[in-house]
Amino acid sequence: MRIAVYPKCEKFLTSICEWAKGCLKVIQLQLQSCAKMRTAFAMYFIQALILSAIGDVGFVSCTSDVDDAFNEELMLKPLPSGHVYAHFQFTTLWRTDIETETFQHSRLFPRGLGEIIGRHNVRELHVSLTEGLWRYEKWGYPLQDTGSGAEVYAWFNDDRRIDENWKSLTNALAGLLCASLNFVDVSNSLSPDFTFRPSGAIPRPLNSSCLRYSSLPREIVCTENLTPFKKLLPCDSKKGLATLLNSAYIHNTNYHSIAVDVRPVCTNAACTQTTIELRQTISLVYDTMTTDSQDWSVRKLFGIGLRSACPLATLSRVYVDVTDNETSETYRLVPEPPETLISLRGGQENRIAVYDIKSLSNAGMFNVAAVHSKAKIYGVEIPPVLFANRYVVGYGQERGGLVTKLHNNYWKPLDVVLLENIPWYIPVYTHTIRITCQGKLLKPLIKRYVPGRERERPYYLEMVLRLPPRSVTEFSIELDYLFLKWQEYPPDANHGFYMGPAIITSLLPTARNYTALPQDGSTISSSFNASRDGYLVQLRTEILLVSLPTPDFSMPYNVICLACTAVALAFGPLHNITTKRLVLKPSKKNKLVSYIREKLSKTKVDKIE
Amino acid sequence: MGLLTDPRAGNGAVIKFVMKWEKLLCLTLYVTGVIWFVSLAYPDFNDNTYFSENALLPGLVTNEFNEDGGAKRFHDELLAEMKKYPDDMPYPWLLAKFRQLNLDVYTHNFTLNYPLSQQKFTGQNVYSILRAPRSASTEAIILSVPYRSASSIHLTTAPSIALLLAFAKFCRKQNYWAKDIIFVVTEHEQLGMQAWLEAYHRCTCGQDGVLIAGDLVGRAGSIQAAINLEMHSFKIGSIDIKVEGLNGQLPNLDLVNLANKMCAKEGIRRTFQRRADSNPKDKIRKWWYQFVTMMSMVSTQATGVPTGNHGVFHRFGIEAITLEGFAKSGSGTESTIYNIGRVVESLIRSLNNLLERFHQSFFFYLLPSTDRYISIGLYMPPLALIIAGLFIKAFSVWLKLQESTEKKDGESDAVKQAKSEELVLSHIAWEVLWTHILGVATLSAPRLFTYIGIKFHLATENSVSLGLLLLTIVMFIGTLCFERYRTYETASLLYVIALIELATMLLCISMHNFSLALVAAVVYVPAALTVIPKKGNESRFHNLRCIPWILLHPLCLACTVVAVYTHFTFPDYTIIAFALKWIQASKQAIVFGIIDSMVYGNWLYSVTVCVLLPTWLIFWIVVTSKPILRISK
Repeated sequence: MRIAVYPKCEKFLTSICEWAKGCLKVIQLQLQSCAKMRTAFAMYFIQALILSAIGDVGFVSCTSDVDDAFNEELMLKPLPSGHVYAHFQFTTLWRTDIETETFQHSRLFPRGLGEIIGRHNVRELHVSLTEGLWRYEKWGYPLQDTGSGAEVYAWFNDDRRIDENWKSLTNALAGLLCASLNFVDVSNSLSPDFTFRPSGAIPRPLNSSCLRYSSLPREIVCTENLTPFKKLLPCDSKKGLATLLNSAYIHNTNYHSIAVDVRPVCTNAACTQTTIELRQTISLVYDTMTTDSQDWSVRKLFGIGLRSACPLATLSRVYVDVTDNETSETYRLVPEPPETLISLRGGQENRIAVYDIKSLSNAGMFNVAAVHSKAKIYGVEIPPVLFANRYVVGYGQERGGLVTKLHNNYWKPLDVVLLENIPWYIPVYTHTIRITCQGKLLKPLIKRYVPGRERERPYYLEMVLRLPPRSVTEFSIELDYLFLKWQEYPPDANHGFYMGPAIITSLLPTARNYTALPQDGSTISSSFNASRDGYLVQLRTEILLVSLPTPDFSMPYNVICLACTAVALAFGPLHNITTKRLVLKPSKKNKLVSYIREKLSKTKVDKIE
Repeated sequence: MGLLTDPRAGNGAVIKFVMKWEKLLCLTLYVTGVIWFVSLAYPDFNDNTYFSENALLPGLVTNEFNEDGGAKRFHDELLAEMKKYPDDMPYPWLLAKFRQLNLDVYTHNFTLNYPLSQQKFTGQNVYSILRAPRSASTEAIILSVPYRSASSIHLTTAPSIALLLAFAKFCRKQNYWAKDIIFVVTEHEQLGMQAWLEAYHRCTCGQDGVLIAGDLVGRAGSIQAAINLEMHSFKIGSIDIKVEGLNGQLPNLDLVNLANKMCAKEGIRRTFQRRADSNPKDKIRKWWYQFVTMMSMVSTQATGVPTGNHGVFHRFGIEAITLEGFAKSGSGTESTIYNIGRVVESLIRSLNNLLERFHQSFFFYLLPSTDRYISIGLYMPPLALIIAGLFIKAFSVWLKLQESTEKKDGESDAVKQAKSEELVLSHIAWEVLWTHILGVATLSAPRLFTYIGIKFHLATENSVSLGLLLLTIVMFIGTLCFERYRTYETASLLYVIALIELATMLLCISMHNFSLALVAAVVYVPAALTVIPKKGNESRFHNLRCIPWILLHPLCLACTVVAVYTHFTFPDYTIIAFALKWIQASKQAIVFGIIDSMVYGNWLYSVTVCVLLPTWLIFWIVVTSKPILRISK
């Protein structure tokens, strides 16, 4: 069984891209001629732009008769900052239709997850749990962008009972992954128009009402999330690359991220049949500075060597990106790689050492080590084409500001979609939005804004910006800090409240520092030699900690609360006694007569009372 | 008003008591308040410090700091660099050192447009961020050192920069950090730190366009706490823990306790207000020793000027202290950089443990020694007693006024009374208004003074002090020459207003800067209580009551304080040398006060000029007014 992109598809892809380009040219001409229609066209332009890259053009096929397959891969990449990036990817492909599949029987696909998907009418599901922050400036782009804390978004097949389904889905996922995803509800969910598009095959256009996105930046990721994650794998952690996932080692990193992504992809070029693709990934960034030597090896990183591949896996490989070897650092890989690939992608040449675990499995414990021949000198790191920072400004617990800085290092303007995710307890003032670039005001091409409502929905602000070449664009907005009800404060009230990351989406014209999989690929191997017209990035900025005005939850405060309650309780009866009047009731001589009289005179008595 | 003008009001027992014993009551309250406050330093009246925040886990970790050798090397290199550039900060060297540790390193430029002349000063800070492996850069701790060039008049801080670098090297190898650590080396003392903080929070604390802080490239979330190091020697005899911040703000007591405990754990001699703890057996002597320490804190806090770089952090909700290490003088043990490094490590690791911002323990306290404290609950009542006298005085004067008007206007008709009252009220309102307008005008006057001063080629401090002196003289002469005649009622009402304003102002100040309120209350309350509006039948000596009020003019008071300070600093000067020094020092003190308010937002000058000066003026008017007798039918 082999996985490959149809040569036909590539043609199809390029033709689509050319078509999209043609459209764009026309649109751009129109844009120039007709300023009034600008916004409407620009919106279409962006959608076309993103769709042409994401779209419904992923084809993966299983050439054998068996309708499911499992692949496991590990990418090791020494980063210029002295860190080592390890990315595990476990891909399960199942040739069945996601809409009609009942998920009653499955072979490699985890049934627990399948049932959740089937039951909630989910089309695409993306969940990630991340600890730490991906430092784009130093590390370039990751294979998968995830925001700090928990992040979840899903596309549903239709928007009937969608809020109910969403709530129920996140609750089920909370159980499946042992994460606090059950805190996701309408008050912290968004349906952004531009940032997220379906990444897999879609039978009919879906609009953003079928989408829900939420992030829980407070979530702390630990072993209890890893264990259920490993249980979703066909070999569990008994065999294969998953044996390397020892919690003691992988939680000792500078960044670790667990993600589960489910999407339907086309099985053939005509897309008459679809395949469910489940991608389970773990990204880790190790710091080699904390140890005495800069040498690293699989055993040093994960505490154990690799015994064998997972017997159920079709593909079991370890890749090492050796591009930087002999330029910024010098090391020798032990054992020598049997094969070294050269990947040309978007003007970037990468050399990748490939170890096939299937063929090595007889040779006992497998271990890849990098042995440095001379000490590494930390030079100036070249930042990627596009990166962003976000921070809160001002002081005090009354008001402040939010600033997002977008750096464009490319020589041409870049179009980006900026999604600001602002929780309801931080009300923002739209009239204070200022987008400046090199001292000049920048007008967004499109702006979507839905004001938040206390305890009901967050502030949704999405903008399409054209960043001038080699510039720093600054988005700023002023905000207030809300004084919450006393039950709404967490037990550690003085820790502060978190604000989820902003998401910046763009199609990069160059693949410098870019490692992510192409939209039509399912495995890491599909990212080699995968030149496309644009490279989609979805940067997540820092999560922010803000101090809301916090009452003094100390002993005197509690005493005051208690005393007030006691006074309030005492006040009721006292008030009653002092204000109510005693009224004499007529004596009941004849029951029936008195009953009737009572009935008749009731209105009168009421009035008197 | 309804309650107070009630005709039956004069008959209450309390009111009668107040009317009868008013003078004695005020005196008793004042004396009790002062004695109570003074006795707070007595060991039985204050408490031992304790840790309120459990998450700090002070001193529970095994110290691992072992970079003392590294610190020595950094120190030698730095001294060589400082010799090469005696006036500048060795930026390239600092940047290179941080970069070699593989930390994120940035520089920060700032400009000061000197507000009282057309001068510009620039500065540059160097800072570096250690990204914590255990978090997403949401929280940070600061370790800062002010850089002092070889030509600086202050004691050197080179050893603390060496320690900072060595500590950064040590931290880089640890993987337990949950908060980013920002290492900041600032230029121009507090100005650099203030500019850095303003840039970090992107705001301006002083006047617009004075301190141009610019923007920072790298940030690390919300800053939880800061430690500022000022080690003057590589081997130190004692560490002084400095707490007083801008406008008298103090760091959380837990942080101060933490620093004290960590120093004690390493066996380093620790001092507060440069006074080591002494433990004489005689309780009275102990009280005196602690009282002097406490008063030293009060006098430092009252000025509202920060004693170190830590002082500018407090405004931003960041708890900060300065550890100042002095070389050994006299006997006692000596601590090496190894011990200080371990103290810093313990401090930062404790702060790293924090789950919430500092919110427990005390933010308002006085320290009579390093291990004892006087909380706000203990020191507020004495001050309240001192101030209460003013309210009682105001009340009794008001009641007397009611009595006298009742007696006089008993027979006249209501319309006439209302008319005369209206007249008196408008007159009083005018007096209150113009005094306050003058206060606000004085607040913005320094710029005008310097503008005029430049035309006469005067130095800034000369033109400002000359301007203020002229203004004061005009005030004295003006009030003595114009409209000195007031009825007894007008003078009394003005007196009541002045009393209430003074009392309210003192209470408000005490909430922000206790020490300032205390000093002001102790000085002004007795003078305010002894004022008696003239009726016309006083003796000739009554005018002597004006004399204390001349001395109590804020400008005169400031000069007096400077004179005392100068006398203590230079005790062996001759009278002429002393006078010259005194005048020079007074001029500088005034200009510093004004500059501080413009750059840092220190409100000592604003409060003095906007509130204290108008109140003083009203009192002065009351004291100097000449009575006119009412023309009765």
